[in-house]
This record gives sequence, C-alpha cells and structure tokens, in this order.
Amino acid sequence: MTNKISLVLKREYIQRVRRKSFIISTILMPLLMLGLMMTPALVMTLTGPENKKIAVIDNSHIIAPALQTDGEMQFITVNEPIDQIKDNEDYEAILVIGKDIISNPNDVTFYTRGSASIKTESFISGQLSAIIEQHRLSQYKIDNLPQILADVKADVSMKTLRIDREEEETTSSIVSYLVGMIMSLMLYMFIMLYGQMVMNSIIEEKNNRVLEVMVSSIKPYQLMLGKILGIGAVAITQILIWAVLICSFTTWVMPSMVGSLFNTTQNIDLLQAITMLGDTGYILTIFGYLTLFLIGGYLFYSAIYASIGSAVDNAQDASQLQSIAIVPIILGMVFSMSVIQDPNSTMAVWLSMIPLTSPMVMMARVPFGIPTIEIIMSLIILYICMLLMIWVAAKIYRVGIFMYGKKPNIREIITWTRYK
Amino acid sequence: MNILEANNIVKRFTHHTALDNVSLHVPEGMIYGLLGPNGAGKTTLIRIINHITAPDSGEVLFDGHHLTADDVSNIGYLPEERGLYKKMEVGEQAIFFARLKGMTRHDATTQLKAWFERLEIGDWWKKKVQELSKGMAQKVQFIITVLHKPRLLIFDEPFSGFDPINANILKNEILELSKQGSTVIFSTHNMSSVEELCQRITLINRSHDILTGDVIDLRKQYGGNRMSLTYRGDTDALCKAIAPMVSLCTVSTPDRDRNLRINIDLTSSMARRDLISTANSVVDLVGFEQLLPSMDEIFISAVANSNLQSQQND
Repeated sequence: MTNKISLVLKREYIQRVRRKSFIISTILMPLLMLGLMMTPALVMTLTGPENKKIAVIDNSHIIAPALQTDGEMQFITVNEPIDQIKDNEDYEAILVIGKDIISNPNDVTFYTRGSASIKTESFISGQLSAIIEQHRLSQYKIDNLPQILADVKADVSMKTLRIDREEEETTSSIVSYLVGMIMSLMLYMFIMLYGQMVMNSIIEEKNNRVLEVMVSSIKPYQLMLGKILGIGAVAITQILIWAVLICSFTTWVMPSMVGSLFNTTQNIDLLQAITMLGDTGYILTIFGYLTLFLIGGYLFYSAIYASIGSAVDNAQDASQLQSIAIVPIILGMVFSMSVIQDPNSTMAVWLSMIPLTSPMVMMARVPFGIPTIEIIMSLIILYICMLLMIWVAAKIYRVGIFMYGKKPNIREIITWTRYK
Repeated sequence: MNILEANNIVKRFTHHTALDNVSLHVPEGMIYGLLGPNGAGKTTLIRIINHITAPDSGEVLFDGHHLTADDVSNIGYLPEERGLYKKMEVGEQAIFFARLKGMTRHDATTQLKAWFERLEIGDWWKKKVQELSKGMAQKVQFIITVLHKPRLLIFDEPFSGFDPINANILKNEILELSKQGSTVIFSTHNMSSVEELCQRITLINRSHDILTGDVIDLRKQYGGNRMSLTYRGDTDALCKAIAPMVSLCTVSTPDRDRNLRINIDLTSSMARRDLISTANSVVDLVGFEQLLPSMDEIFISAVANSNLQSQQND
C-alpha cells in the first residue's frame, strides 16, 4: 500500500526535478529577485543624479539666499519677468515668492512643466517653512539663537519592549512587518504555484489516459496522494535549494555589509532589525512555523486542486472551477496585508483560524510574536481540515477521473462524493 | 473451477443504471468474450472486476474468495483507452508499472528485456514514449499488461490500432499465454476474433446480460435451420419443389465446378430429410450442409431482439 504511494511519489518527483524547467527556475528565481532589488541602485549609479534647474523669483529677498540646493534640484535666482522665464526651456519649474512671505506664507506659487512630483513639492514647501520659521524666530532677537536651536533639537527613536513575555525582549515592528509580509507572500506563491501543478498534472494524466492503466494497479486515492506528496517534495526541494543559497549569502556576504553598517549608522531601528534577524532562535521559530503552515496549506489546497483537476478534461474547463481555490488564496493574501497593520484585531484572529485563509494570515501574524496557543490552535484546525479535504478529494477524484466529455458543475461534483 | 465470478452485479449512476443484475462466470484457463454495443456497460463491469469501482449490490469472487485490492496484482488489464507517460523513457516506464504490480526492480528489468527482444522492440528501451508510433506504444502497453504473469488477463479491444501483421503477432502471444494457463477476458467489437479465440461469451446490452453461452453452441442454436444446398440442375424447379418447407431462399453464384448453390432457412429442423429427398428428386444434389451464423449475425440479432423486447415492455 504505502509502497505503491511511494512509487508514484518517486516517479512524480524524479520526473519533475530532472526537467530543465525546474533546474532553470530554481536557479533563476533568486537571481531574478536579486536583480529586481539591485536594479534601482544600478540605474541610479549609471544615470547619475538628475539636475533640475528651478528659477526663483524672490520678491521678498529673504528666501532665495537661504534655499539649499540638493542633489536633484538647483535653485537659481532670476530677476527677469516671469513670462520670459516661462519660455526658457532650461528651467524645469519656476518658484514665485510673494513680497510678504514672512507674514503671509501662502503667497507662493510654483509653476511646473508637466505635473510636479509629491517629493519635489514637499521638499520645497519643507524648505520654505523652515526658512520662514527661522526668520520669524530671529525677529525675537534672542541671543545665541543657533546654539539654542541646536540644543533644543531632538530626534526620537523608540526602543520597543514587550512586557507580556517572561523575558523582556526588543522587537522591531518594521522587521516584523517585513518578515510577515514575506512569509505570507511565500505561502501564497507556493500554494498557488504547486497547487496548480497538481491540478495540471492530473488533467494531463487524464488526457493521456494513463489513469486508465494506472488505476488497474493502484487505488485512486493512493495515486492522488502519491502525486500530491511527490509534487510537495519538489516544492520542498526548491525551498531547500533557495534556503542554502540565502544562507550562504548571509554567511559570506552579510557580515561585511553588517560590519560597515554598524560603524556608519546610528539608526536604532536598523540596529534592532539586525539583532532580531541575527537571532537564530527567532529565525528558526519562524522557519519552523513556515514549514508547518506550508505543508498544511499546500496539502489542503492541493487536495482542492486535485478534485478540480479530476473533474475536468482540459485547462480551459478548469479555469472556471479553479476560482474555488484561487479566490480564498488571494483573499488570504489580501487580508494578511491588512492584518499586518493590526495583528491582534478580532478579524486577524478569526481569519487565522479559518483553514482557507489561515496559512497566509497566520504567517503574517507570527513574526509579531502572538500567543503560541493561537498558532497551535490554527495548526490543529488546518491539519484536521486538510485530512478531511483529502478524504473528500479522494472520493471526487475516483469518480472524476473517468468522466470525460462533459463539464460538471459543483453540485454534480458533490454528488460524486456519495458514490460507492 | 471459476477463477472469476461476478454475481448479480448492480451499478447505478446519477442518471442511469450501468449494470442491472449482471452475472459473469469465467472458468479458469478459458478465453472468454465480453461483448456488447457501445455504452452497454462492459467497461463498468470490467472496472468493477478490476476493483476500480464498487458495485451497488452483488459480489465479485476471485478464485473463490471476495475480490480484494490485493487480487489486482493477479489481474492484468489492457484498457481500451490506452495511455503512457509521454515524456518518460519506455524502459523506465515499463519498470514503474511492473513495480506497481508488485514486481521487484530486478525481476521487472530481466523479464522486460526478454519481452522486448521477443517482440523485436529491444532498441526502444531508451526512447521516450512521444517518439513512438501508436502501434509501437500499443506493443509496449501489451507487455506492461502481461509482464507480471497475471492469472487473469482482461483485454479491451486489444487489436485496435495494429496492422494485420502485428495483430497476428499479438493474437499468437495471447493464445500462448492462454496455453500457459492464463485466463483471458476479451472485450471487443471484432467478431471474427471472437470466433477465432473465444470459447464462451456473454453479451451485454443496455445494462443486461442478454446472451451467455459457448460460442459453438450459440452458433448452432442461432443457425439451426439454415442450410446450404449444392446441386446441378434447374434452380426454378428446385425452389418450387422445396417451397412448402422453406421460409427463405437465396441463390448464390455458381462455384468453380459449375455447381449451383442456394441458402435456405428451413421452417422446422424436422424437415431436413424431406428436404433432401425432395431436392434430390428435382435436381442432382451434390452437397448439403448446415450453415452456422457468424458471431456478427448473432450479435446483431440478439441486440435487435432485446431492444425490441425492452421497447415492448416500455
């Protein structure tokens, strides 16, 4: 019995892992990701800073001398009339400052060619506010004003400590946020990708009529289970390869990067993030849960995909029924994005218990350090439902694989579960 | 001893009954024909025998005990819709199927190599299935079916897709397997192969068993009163003379010896002697023989009869 399942599993696994497409995608994917992360930086270094010239007509004669030119924007004070400057293509934009700018800060107009970016606008208005405030302050004739201002200036950076744990530990919400997001995205990607692989593989076997031959030597549920497990093994192989790649990256490349960061940065957030990610216990816990939810979620959804695959003749027919699986997966993904904002809300707790969304939503919550009992509850529910789903799928599969030529609806598929 | 007994099998689907109280008794060592028009329920019956689906009621006995999943390794099934994994190599694939039937890798490999040599396909071992022609793939499929030396072989349309030469090779292999003691169940529409190979048949129509019996008995039974007369002389006179005892009279072309020939249906089997003496008095009678109907004719008339009956019942 088990021997037959393992035979199917092995065949499925070896055939897939040997394929060129698997090898290529496994190697290319991390490279692609790395490339995506590097591209903006590369583009920046290659093109160099953009230099926008902005003409300033300063009727107050206070602002212009104080405007700071930054890498992207260059302020040039001009005395020509505005209409003349408007025709001059050298200037990207024109800033017109009113005479009584200090008492009336709204008396500023910004002319642009094309629409101005929010970044540009906020950069300029920020500078103007600072200059005006500075000017107003100086009117109070306080001695040592620059000194006082420098002394007064404060830059708050919070250290967050949790008091619901035995040991107080530092956490960084930004890191939790990012880790949660990545975890939930990974689950989404794997469940969707490999679930569909199960479905397509069943449709292919059905079209090939290999199934007719297979089922004379093996029970349909063994075949289905072997296939699901085989493809699952392919998924795990892929993850392991990526894990090795990532680990070697963090072992060889990260230390030098981190070292230089420690020397140059005073940013507490970043330091916290690094200590958090450097904590092996934390990483291992996260990966442990990820694996458990990945296995549970994959098995649950691949059972659904298997029933769909067995019920239809071709990929076109499948697309409609597929929504049964795709919609909850995407919902799980979308919900986890909002759950991340408030990981302890009632909605978050419920969504992380319902097996349809729980893998994605719970994984988004885990990095925030939610109570372990909730995670265990969610896992138990997921695994029980997964077993039920496989049982139902096996029943549907057994009938579905011999149905050719007609597209069944969901009600018909449900009646199949009652056949002997 | 029946190797397979299916008793009172009933199988219903949502909108129709696929098998209604069908029984099938297959003695060990026999080549048994399972016949019937398309959609009659043959494949469902075969699937039940293969333990793929379960009947709603009725029982299947294999070798005297209730059929279990383990018995499947004693059955070899060549389905009508054949299929192999297209992207897998032939040898690797054959080993996979053999191991699913419980053979060890070593046994499977040695025996497969022997079979491949025997059917002259030894150099296909490393080829992918998608490179094979349909007939070639069928040969591989046949080997996969019989490799584990099952006691019961079920062939669904085994000759479709083969050229006459390869069909003949296959036929001989099947006869050889039967000689070695395998029981064979044949499901086919090719009636000449039924006449040639099968000892007994069951004909299923519209979910019912409408005809079961030994091929020879059935042919005698169905053709009991059909005769052929060979003679020299006046055909018209002969026809007129025998008209009272004959229901149908067809004249066929003269043979090489210029003998004339008519086929007739006698109204009663008792009239045989009368027929001979009457005919002999009119013409010079050369030969007289009973004509056995082909399985084709039996098939058509039995199905037509049962359809007529069920219409009357409705």
